[in-house]
Amino acid sequence: MADTTSDKPAGTAAGDSGDERLAHRGPIQTLLTRPEIGALLGLVGVGVMFWLVAGQFGTVGGIANFLDTAAILGIMAVPVALLMIGGEFDLSSGAMTGATAMVVVLLSIDPASGGAGLNLFLAVPLTLALALSIGWFNGTVVDRTSLPSFIVTLGTFFILWGGKLGFAKLFTDKVIVGDGGQLKDAGGFDFWSSIFGAEWVLNPQKVESGEVDENGQAILDIVPGTGHLWDGRDWVWAGLLIIGGAALLLGVLELTYRRRSAYKMPGIVFSAVGVAVAVAGFAYLLTQGGSASEWIGGVLVAAGVLAGVSGWCVARYEPADRSGVESADSPGLMYRLAAGVVGIVLGVLVALLMDAENTDRLGFLPGAAGRTVFAIGIAVAGVLAVLAAMGRIRMTYPLIGAVIMFIPTVSFLVTGQGARVLLFGGLAGVGVLLLASAAGRSRMPLAVSLLSAVAVVVLAFFIQAESTSRKLRVELFVVLLLIALLVAVAALASHLCQRRHTSVAPADLGPWARVGAIAGLAGVVVFAVLELIDGDGIIYSVVIGITKGALVAFAVYAAGALYKLLFTSDEGTGRAVVVVGAGLVALSFIVRLLFITEAEALATNARTSFRVQVLFLLLYAAAGTWVLAKTQFGNWIFAVGGNKEAARSVGVPAARAKTTLFMLVSGSAWLAGMLIAFRQLSVQADVGNGDEFRYIIVAVVGGNLLTGGYGSALGAAIGAIIWGMISQGIGFALWNSNWQFLVLGALLLVAVIVNNYIRGRAEKAPVKTEKAKPDQAEITIVVPKEPTSELKEDQP
Amino acid sequence: MSTEFLEMKNLSKFYGNIIALTGVTTTVNPGEVTCILGDNGAGKSTFIKILAGVHQHDEGDLLLEGEAKKFASPREALAHGIATVYQDLAMVPLMSVWRNFFLGQEPRKGVWPFRQIDIDKAKMIAKEEMAKMGIDIRDTEQAVGTLSGGERQSVAIARASYFGARVLILDEPTSALGVKQSGVVLRRIVEARDQGLAVIFITHNPHHAYPVGDRFVILKRGRSLGNWAKEELSQAELTQLMAGGAELEQLQHELAGAGAS
Repeated sequence: MADTTSDKPAGTAAGDSGDERLAHRGPIQTLLTRPEIGALLGLVGVGVMFWLVAGQFGTVGGIANFLDTAAILGIMAVPVALLMIGGEFDLSSGAMTGATAMVVVLLSIDPASGGAGLNLFLAVPLTLALALSIGWFNGTVVDRTSLPSFIVTLGTFFILWGGKLGFAKLFTDKVIVGDGGQLKDAGGFDFWSSIFGAEWVLNPQKVESGEVDENGQAILDIVPGTGHLWDGRDWVWAGLLIIGGAALLLGVLELTYRRRSAYKMPGIVFSAVGVAVAVAGFAYLLTQGGSASEWIGGVLVAAGVLAGVSGWCVARYEPADRSGVESADSPGLMYRLAAGVVGIVLGVLVALLMDAENTDRLGFLPGAAGRTVFAIGIAVAGVLAVLAAMGRIRMTYPLIGAVIMFIPTVSFLVTGQGARVLLFGGLAGVGVLLLASAAGRSRMPLAVSLLSAVAVVVLAFFIQAESTSRKLRVELFVVLLLIALLVAVAALASHLCQRRHTSVAPADLGPWARVGAIAGLAGVVVFAVLELIDGDGIIYSVVIGITKGALVAFAVYAAGALYKLLFTSDEGTGRAVVVVGAGLVALSFIVRLLFITEAEALATNARTSFRVQVLFLLLYAAAGTWVLAKTQFGNWIFAVGGNKEAARSVGVPAARAKTTLFMLVSGSAWLAGMLIAFRQLSVQADVGNGDEFRYIIVAVVGGNLLTGGYGSALGAAIGAIIWGMISQGIGFALWNSNWQFLVLGALLLVAVIVNNYIRGRAEKAPVKTEKAKPDQAEITIVVPKEPTSELKEDQP
Repeated sequence: MSTEFLEMKNLSKFYGNIIALTGVTTTVNPGEVTCILGDNGAGKSTFIKILAGVHQHDEGDLLLEGEAKKFASPREALAHGIATVYQDLAMVPLMSVWRNFFLGQEPRKGVWPFRQIDIDKAKMIAKEEMAKMGIDIRDTEQAVGTLSGGERQSVAIARASYFGARVLILDEPTSALGVKQSGVVLRRIVEARDQGLAVIFITHNPHHAYPVGDRFVILKRGRSLGNWAKEELSQAELTQLMAGGAELEQLQHELAGAGAS
């Protein structure tokens, strides 16, 4: 058994620690048990793929673009996910978004154009009331009749569909209402438009300065007070990212390793020197130009980080226990090492041999060859399927045919260039992963891990030397170097420190949170008043005040968490520090996205804006997650979806909970409808029809169980973002948009399978109850055997 | 006449002209286990449902601390401290132990609209209460579906006793369990009794009933065959009565005959 201990470094040491029988679960394992893990992996995978193949995808404009699509979807997908966890479906939800949009337009445009001419201050709340009553109707009918919600809401769906068409024709004689822009003339339009049609425009307005440059081009001046210019953006962004990354690292170390009783001073000094070197290197990188200084800066940063982390590890955590590692390597080690090196070499060869300039489609299986392979794939799949059905071969073998078919299909989509990138990335990536996985099998894991880090560095330089696009040469290069650094850091830490064996209760940060909340509230008032004095509008001032106040509150909390981690003996602070780190990293990206530097503004003519629905999406994801995890209503949602009768019998008002969920969905459809109406001003009768299936698919991708009782609101929001990425990314990649559903379908299947696999692995136990089987039990009693006396003796 | 805690006198229930239950008389006292035995269709479910407030009796008296009662709803029965643990356990398998424990009666903190469940408190209480039942739950975040049948019964019993039950009705708690699991549940019953609860244990297995019971009622086809204290009855007699005495002998003869030919 001692040989295999290095295979499973975590989770096996439950026995060796006193009375606490709960094995410690590291941060990664905890993450793997979350329902939204499949969606998270999909988000990263899809994002990386489109980032590689489509130039525009990773730009601020591209992100604004797919978030825009994702937001309306997510605003619906989150409540639909809650309803799904509660065990019901609402097929009318898609048609409802269009219906509310149409109703608000019909209610408010002037009677001459077929409307009712109501003021929007009346029309908007009236539409909400209508939406809520339809939700109430759905819920009540489902509850009272016990019919499947599938059927009931299918009825509502057709009623809405027909109603939209019928009323549009009846009142306006057209299938589109408000197409003359009459909504703008309705009373209260400016107010409601400032809410539902709000957007955050980055680019300032520009005017010609009257001068021309040497090429005869007019030099533009920026109109002050327009757009969101911030020249300090890059410093703040990079600073937040680095501090956040460091906090994340610190928190993960704290969650993973076991503390010493007291600091070890030499380690602290070493660590401090390392941090100082890293900071100096970074400053050097930012201030100096030229490739030589980039080299010096980069090496300084890497060396500083490694020294800082190893010093900290020595200072803070128990040294690793190496008594059980004397034994030989595990059998698979050599294969993995060899296969890893072969993969990397093959990848490099492929990159060198293939034509980097070929931008035509049909990279490597054109014409007849492609058709032949495709036909062979179909034939193989068919034959193997029949054999599998007859029981001659395993049920998984027909997939071979699908894989063969897949190759020419993909080759239709990618260019020679793209295929080169994909092949190189795939081969080299698998090679590096194999190398990394070999570390666990070796008796020298540190050496093998460092080897894979070195391999990543080599690949990074190869990419830089070989590729022509700036994105690969600079961005991917830096990302790969960072990955290599992280691998090295992780290897060093696990070499130096001992893992935690038992779980520790999370630290109590209550006082800090309370002080933070009070300071934040004070901040809201102060900052809002400052803006007001500055002469800004009320809503703008309030928003700025809330934002800055929240930052103050977060800063206090972060200070508390870091203080507790660094200077107290409380061992449960890791999670809070991880939260702080993640928050800072998120904040850094928000800063990066929401502001534009003057140089960028002058260089671009494209207008970039984030619409208000992105804000609503974030609110929905956060509120949905909070409701599910922390509130009584969330508990009831899980319960009515998991076992309605049980919930009812312990006093959960199941009917009320479900009806509330239906009303939540229809209320959200109202919000989506308002966003549509105030953006487009006119509404077609078929808007939203059929979208309900997208909401359901997105929720399922996000880890929600179709049968209810399990799921995540955050997952649904992530699923919506993936959908947005795909539907916009296909356009950016210049693919034919007809492929959209192929990609989405594949994504749905993969996400569901991954979710299922991970959930099964995470729980490692049956999750379904076995219902009592009275019939069987009775039979054993009706014909009693000899009175069994053993049981009686068992009893006290 | 000394007042019994919960007393049933000639309790009867009719569905139209069908006699579901008639003439049941027994008593239930704190720190005692009253076993209701009977075959399928004997009227056990009807009996529970009368006590739990799902149905109302048509004849006879149900006296709680000497006062005649007729529970209009499960909620009312619960309010009088009569908690029922049904066969299907009233558990949500995909939810964690602490969420199930407090389902419907979550402890909350904070002000509306930010009111949320006091999760730390809920977890602590769930762990403590399970410990009182003699079960040391490792992680109250564990899904109930991953617990064994006996442990799930224990969660339900602990929940009932924590929420102020004075009478605990257990509907066939051992019928779906193996021998060892049944032993666990029977031990829980004894522990609940020792905590001073009045326990009503419904079962069709005399071997489970006899070791823990203080008082036995046997139902057959809606009628009560009698109401015995433990001293008045041996296990063999109980088994015999339960299995229908003469009928069982008849069956044994038939089976023996079938085996011989």
